[in-house]
Amino acid sequence: MPEIASAAAAAAAPPSDAAARHARQSVVVAALAAVLPRHAILSRHEDTVPYECDGLTAHRESPMVVVLPETEEQVAAVLRNCHTLQVPIVARGAGTGLSGGALPHRLGVTLSLAKFNRNVKVDPVACTATVQCGVRNLAISEAAAPFGLYYAPDPSSQIACTIGGNVAENSGGVHCLKYGLTLHNVLKVRGFTVEGEAIEFGSEALDCAGLDLMALLVGSEGILAVTTEVTVKLIPKPQLARCIMASFADVETAGVAVAAIVAAGIIPAGLELMDKRMTAAVEDFAHAGYDLDAAAAAILLCESDGTAEEVEEEIARMSEVLARTGTARQEISRDETQRLKFWSGRKNAFPATGRISPDYMCMDSTIPRKRLADVLRAIEAMEENYGLRCCNVFHAGDGNLHPLILFDANDLDQLHRCELFGADILETSVRLGGTVSGEHGVGVEKLNSMCVQFSQAEREQMFAVKRAFDPQELLNPGKVIPSLQRCAEYGKLTVLRGMLPFPDLPSF
Amino acid sequence: MQTTLSAEFKGTRDGEAAEAILRKCVHCGFCNATCPTYQLLGDELDGPRGRIYLMKQVLEGAEVTRSTQQHLDRCLTCRNCETTCPSGVDYGHLVDIGRKIVDERVERPIGEKAVRWLLKEGLTSPLFAPAMKLGQLVRPMLPDALKNKVPAPAGARAKVWPTRGHPRKVLMLAGCVQPAMMPNINSATARVLDAAGIQTLVAATAGCCGALRTHLNDHEGGLTDMRRNIDAWWPEVEAGVVEAIVMNASACGATVKEYGYALAHDPAYAAKAARISALTRDLSELLPDLVAALRGQVKPGKVRQLAFHPPCTLQHGQQLRGGVETHLNALGFDVKVARSESHLCCGSAGTYSVLQPELAYQLRDRKLKHIEPLQPQCIVSANIGCIQHLQTGTATPVKHWVEVLDEALEEANA
Amino acid sequence: MDTQDPVLARLLDQVLTAQQTQTPLDIRGGSTKAFYGGVPRGEPLDMRALAGISSHEPTDLVVTVRAGTLLSELEAALGEHGQCLPFEPPRFNTPGSDGGTVGDMVAAGLAGPARAAVGRVRDFVLGATMLNGRGELLTFGGQVMKNVAGYDVSRLMAGSMGVLGLLCEVSLKVLPMLAAQTTLEFEQDEAQALDWFNALRAQPLPITASSWHGGRLRLRLAGARAAVRSAAQSLEGVPVDANEAARWWRDIRDHHLAYFGIDAAALAAGECLWRLSVPASAPPLALPGTAFIEWGGAQRWIRTAAPATDVPAAASLAGGHATLFRAADKSTGTFSPLTAPLMRIHRELKRALDPAGIFNRGRLYSEF
Repeated sequence: MPEIASAAAAAAAPPSDAAARHARQSVVVAALAAVLPRHAILSRHEDTVPYECDGLTAHRESPMVVVLPETEEQVAAVLRNCHTLQVPIVARGAGTGLSGGALPHRLGVTLSLAKFNRNVKVDPVACTATVQCGVRNLAISEAAAPFGLYYAPDPSSQIACTIGGNVAENSGGVHCLKYGLTLHNVLKVRGFTVEGEAIEFGSEALDCAGLDLMALLVGSEGILAVTTEVTVKLIPKPQLARCIMASFADVETAGVAVAAIVAAGIIPAGLELMDKRMTAAVEDFAHAGYDLDAAAAAILLCESDGTAEEVEEEIARMSEVLARTGTARQEISRDETQRLKFWSGRKNAFPATGRISPDYMCMDSTIPRKRLADVLRAIEAMEENYGLRCCNVFHAGDGNLHPLILFDANDLDQLHRCELFGADILETSVRLGGTVSGEHGVGVEKLNSMCVQFSQAEREQMFAVKRAFDPQELLNPGKVIPSLQRCAEYGKLTVLRGMLPFPDLPSF
Repeated sequence: MQTTLSAEFKGTRDGEAAEAILRKCVHCGFCNATCPTYQLLGDELDGPRGRIYLMKQVLEGAEVTRSTQQHLDRCLTCRNCETTCPSGVDYGHLVDIGRKIVDERVERPIGEKAVRWLLKEGLTSPLFAPAMKLGQLVRPMLPDALKNKVPAPAGARAKVWPTRGHPRKVLMLAGCVQPAMMPNINSATARVLDAAGIQTLVAATAGCCGALRTHLNDHEGGLTDMRRNIDAWWPEVEAGVVEAIVMNASACGATVKEYGYALAHDPAYAAKAARISALTRDLSELLPDLVAALRGQVKPGKVRQLAFHPPCTLQHGQQLRGGVETHLNALGFDVKVARSESHLCCGSAGTYSVLQPELAYQLRDRKLKHIEPLQPQCIVSANIGCIQHLQTGTATPVKHWVEVLDEALEEANA
Repeated sequence: MDTQDPVLARLLDQVLTAQQTQTPLDIRGGSTKAFYGGVPRGEPLDMRALAGISSHEPTDLVVTVRAGTLLSELEAALGEHGQCLPFEPPRFNTPGSDGGTVGDMVAAGLAGPARAAVGRVRDFVLGATMLNGRGELLTFGGQVMKNVAGYDVSRLMAGSMGVLGLLCEVSLKVLPMLAAQTTLEFEQDEAQALDWFNALRAQPLPITASSWHGGRLRLRLAGARAAVRSAAQSLEGVPVDANEAARWWRDIRDHHLAYFGIDAAALAAGECLWRLSVPASAPPLALPGTAFIEWGGAQRWIRTAAPATDVPAAASLAGGHATLFRAADKSTGTFSPLTAPLMRIHRELKRALDPAGIFNRGRLYSEF
């Protein structure tokens, strides 16, 4: 259960036995029933259980109440009432997050914003789109398409994830190397404070007066404010995009190639690497024609976009660099259909592993680009050591690695070995000069790593910043910043050779 | 996702089958993005991922009530989620099992039971045709809700059936409601095939494909329907007389293609069912042959600009995409698909439009709104349910694509 | 970086003493932006001794540099590897001075002509080490664009005018310098220029800077040679000599153009230089005075003697805000006022990071 991060919140919460929770639930439901239609409130266990986790199923907690407001007034009313009753609030979009950011609070209200799915305005002259927070990432680009514009950040879950969720996690995507993260593409956010007061961050101008609070908000994982409407920047759809699919006989060469591309001053629109195992898994789903040759140890997708002249020049340069660094085989996408096919496997990589394994644990760390080969070799050795397979996807452009350890949760020993494997990967990443950080957010998943990555003073400073927005710590408590208590407990766990102990085990 | 079957379900065929499907789900949530009810209702419980979760709860022994039953009822079974799912979750099969299990445990209100009984018995009953005729007689006087279910009577041409024989023969399923509601679809099919040198045979004892009863949770009744059809077709199939079993209603086609799966555990029918399924084709799968044969004969004149609505049972259930548009365009038509949401269900979904009218009509209107910008002369589809449902919301004629092709042939020959 | 470092230790000392005695501190780099924002006050805290490039990884596109390093030094070092700070930070060097520091740059958060094309200062801050008002040395962010660190306090430092803490070291994303450059000139009035910007915005043209003033519009194209060439052909402007163009954009960046230099007499007479930041597609603003427009219409300067409330009002009406950039009298405030919830959060953040209120009091808002 996610712990309540502050003493104040702990004091406000009643004892955690079932009867007390039920009584509390009745009070909260009664208050909310005064401001929401009945069908917008769920409290029976049968109805709330499907909300007990997001894309990270290892952590589950049934919310006390789920609300599904339809208007901003209702959102404000929910917040006001919860604030008065000191009820924790966890906002939820599409529930596709991978770090447990939408994991409910046992005594809290899950505020689902999935009904806020309206496009408010697409302004093709200003090149902006204003949409409600529940609008799917891809839907923004679909709405902008008739004007030759699109919204650049493209996380792999873009078919389903919401822009509100993107704001909470500062989502990236394959194209973020060239086009930036969510933070670089959001102009304005409207929403509410924990007290239900309307607030606006940012501006449709290129900056706004005062401190740059948007920089805090984006990536704050729902702990500072609740987003209801987002204005994003749209950019012209590139005239042309072409993707090189390059295969390498070994991962060292792949790593050298990646560094060489960046060293040549090229900023690809996308630069993604899949290892052999991952490629085989996704080929089954995507039928993209990935090089499944036994000799291909890694596939690199390297994309150029822009005007026809820009692409021609850039593809030639990329191709030359790749050839120079010993690419086994290169294929350049013939047309848009083939280009999309090349990417479809990469974009569906995580769930596609569901085809070759009942369960997987997705790790998320960042390493210096030049150490890629070292990390992958180390992971290969770990596969032997722990007796489990591991597929790897690597945002080669920014050093963000996603090892997916395959296992069968029905076998408890496999589950245990999987955790050790994961911890070993994190330790190795750190040892090679990287961090345990990545892009999926902290949520609950990385809370322990936060204990290691930040000093007590730094964590306390982050809490103080949080309290500037939410003094009673009601918004998504227990997420992102670990409490002093948690870090103290974590520190007591045996640490071997600087190894980072594994994330909390689910209890199911 | 890991599922720990309760003692009740452990070792049972349904339980184990469901568990195998559930294992594949990784809870990514991509499926919600293309689920019509999730788009309308924004509630996790009304999307495939949430429904999967609800079914998992039941299989793990949790208490189940009307709430879960209603969320499963709201599912259109369009199987769009299967197309979207990167992990290969067999949602369609899972929801069949889930509904069965839930209906065994949750009593429906008497009114609901009555309607469902009426639908499954009435639509497949020999009384349906005369009732439909009567309805058509009094159509102008019917309240809107009923008028929507009674298409205007077909013209005289609907009765014209080709008389020539051809060496190439196919069996066609006439369907349960199609002959009474829209007889022209069947006769147009026969006429078009005839023009392309293919003879259409109809087995007199074949009837409903079994989808109606199965989806209204009368599994035994559905299997009986399937066995009856297999028996009706078997002589021709066994003798090698026909090269295919042609379906001009994609919903029925999707069902017949699954006879092999449905009867896999029936030793008397398993092999035959598999053979029947293997022989089954949606009419659009014959289009390459039709185009080759008819290219010179067809010259679309009056009605050329068409908007095609691909039924869910065609694009998701049978995973057939692009065929109708491509081949009709090759014949000189100008067929377009809506720019947005062509993957979404129109809301007809078999008996759904009767059982869940509010959602069904919202989806219908949403679908028509996306088709409208194409400004077609005629909207075409490949399934009677979609055709009839869409027609109730627009003045633009809505027909089966084979009817339009048939009209163009007639025009050319006149 | 740690407090064993003697330079840092000295700074820490000063901070702790100030905290205990509640003495306001005036954080100074090169003092090139002392004119900007609220009037500096308090005991000077000179950052220039905390200088040096800690690390530069050209192939990782990141440089980590101490805050007291001269901006000119950093840019020279980057230039040796063909890299740069793409947002073109201004150098408001006063004659005879060494210029501003990296800390000045981040704290002021001002970007030059390329802003609309590449992003703002904050977009290039990857991480920072700072001293807060309690004398705690804190590091947020990292050396990579993607990192987990919850929400990024390091990015908040950009544009914070030093009110939140002492910036000690910052990691910045750098990019390769662009290959080809061409500047084109067009004759247009203000309305035509803004229309033209509107028309160009949705097109995939390699425009990295724009300016309009006194009937003359200039566009800078930069990037791949072929793209620049083909864009220049399709736009049909009059090419500007390369040296003149380079000088032009530099003079805009550093405010060396005559337009930006209001003399003492004019200032005394009440003429002010306002910076308006508005949505780029906003129509011409109905304000008296002379305008200088940049960033495709998103940054509009105005020299005017209009009443102090008129300009922010016009900016607000257009969906933006106004900054009193240079004026003889700044008593009415520099930056546009904040809504109540935002001001409340500002004050709480200030309290969270600098409880004794010792850093750069009043430089952002008089309230703190």
